[in-house]
Amino acid sequence: MSRGVLVVDDDPFIRKLIATTLEDVAEFELHEAADGAEALEIAERERPSLVFLDVDMPVLDGIAACRELRSLEQTKDATIVMLTAAHGDSVERSAEEAGADLFLTKPFSPLDLLRLVDQLGGES
Amino acid sequence: MAVRSENDLIQEIERLRAELARREQESADKERQLERYAADLRETFKQERARSQELRASYVATVRALSNAVEARDAYTGKHAERVAAYGMEIARALGLSLGELPEIEFGFLLHDIGKVAISDRILWKPDSLSEDERRLMARHPVIGSEIIRGIGFLGDAADVVRSHHERWDGEGYPDGLQGEQIPLAARVFAVADVLDALTTKRPYRPASSLAEAREMINAESGSHFDPRVAGAFNTIPDETFELIRAEIG
Repeated sequence: MSRGVLVVDDDPFIRKLIATTLEDVAEFELHEAADGAEALEIAERERPSLVFLDVDMPVLDGIAACRELRSLEQTKDATIVMLTAAHGDSVERSAEEAGADLFLTKPFSPLDLLRLVDQLGGES
Repeated sequence: MAVRSENDLIQEIERLRAELARREQESADKERQLERYAADLRETFKQERARSQELRASYVATVRALSNAVEARDAYTGKHAERVAAYGMEIARALGLSLGELPEIEFGFLLHDIGKVAISDRILWKPDSLSEDERRLMARHPVIGSEIIRGIGFLGDAADVVRSHHERWDGEGYPDGLQGEQIPLAARVFAVADVLDALTTKRPYRPASSLAEAREMINAESGSHFDPRVAGAFNTIPDETFELIRAEIG
């Protein structure tokens, strides 16, 4: 499996923030997408092993994108982390049903983000 | 210019209101996210601070354990290293040495005799005076000591203090016969502290000197055994400071 990380969020500020936070922490290639459709396109090509996926996005939302990623040969085994606005609501249930592995609640903790990537980086 | 109907204007205002609300929401989200970063940064800083204190404490404990291991073999000196380190630190402060250097200096003071672990019991405990060969072996302890600790990064320049703690200002010391300012300053400070403790500690063959007597002897050797600047700094420290250290350490 490749060591790619894909960050999917329609807010460029969040993408930049995550990219900057994770820079140089582990050896991986970072990819960014602004919506679910773009995410699928990049995922097919780059085969990321870790995907951060925002729930609320235009074109194709995070839940739908998650379902699609799970059905893709390239990303069926990837770790998918959903970025959710609120904790413990029905969004998490539908995300779980769609195949998400973990959740980060916005505003997310950069330390949690770093620990997560560190942990997954150590495993692969 | 096209004249807009009232309806168009209302629609436009509503569109702008919605846009404003969206931007305000975005801005609030960013602010909350920034606060989260600040909170994590604060947490990380506190953890780092606590860990560096722990690390520092474990350095000190390790150095003390090593120093105690050396002391444990020598029944006469008791807590010599601890007292010398405390005296030496007072003199170093009186000299105005920068605080940043002080921990390493203290480590050097505490470990000055670490090389004695390589000196045989027969020589170390010999009640009579040493033969020429034995004296030569004994005189190797500063070099051996500095080699023992050279690889320990956190000790910094302490190894130089260990190597040069028997040098004399006039160049008559050992192992390198360094003279004057060739001798590391911390080692010149040590020389005064060492003699101060030796003189004011009772030995089987002589009683302890008083502080006043010790001061007199040290000043008599200022410029020969000791760096005059260090002896001068030593003179500015009141008796009570040394008495307090002695009472605390024993």
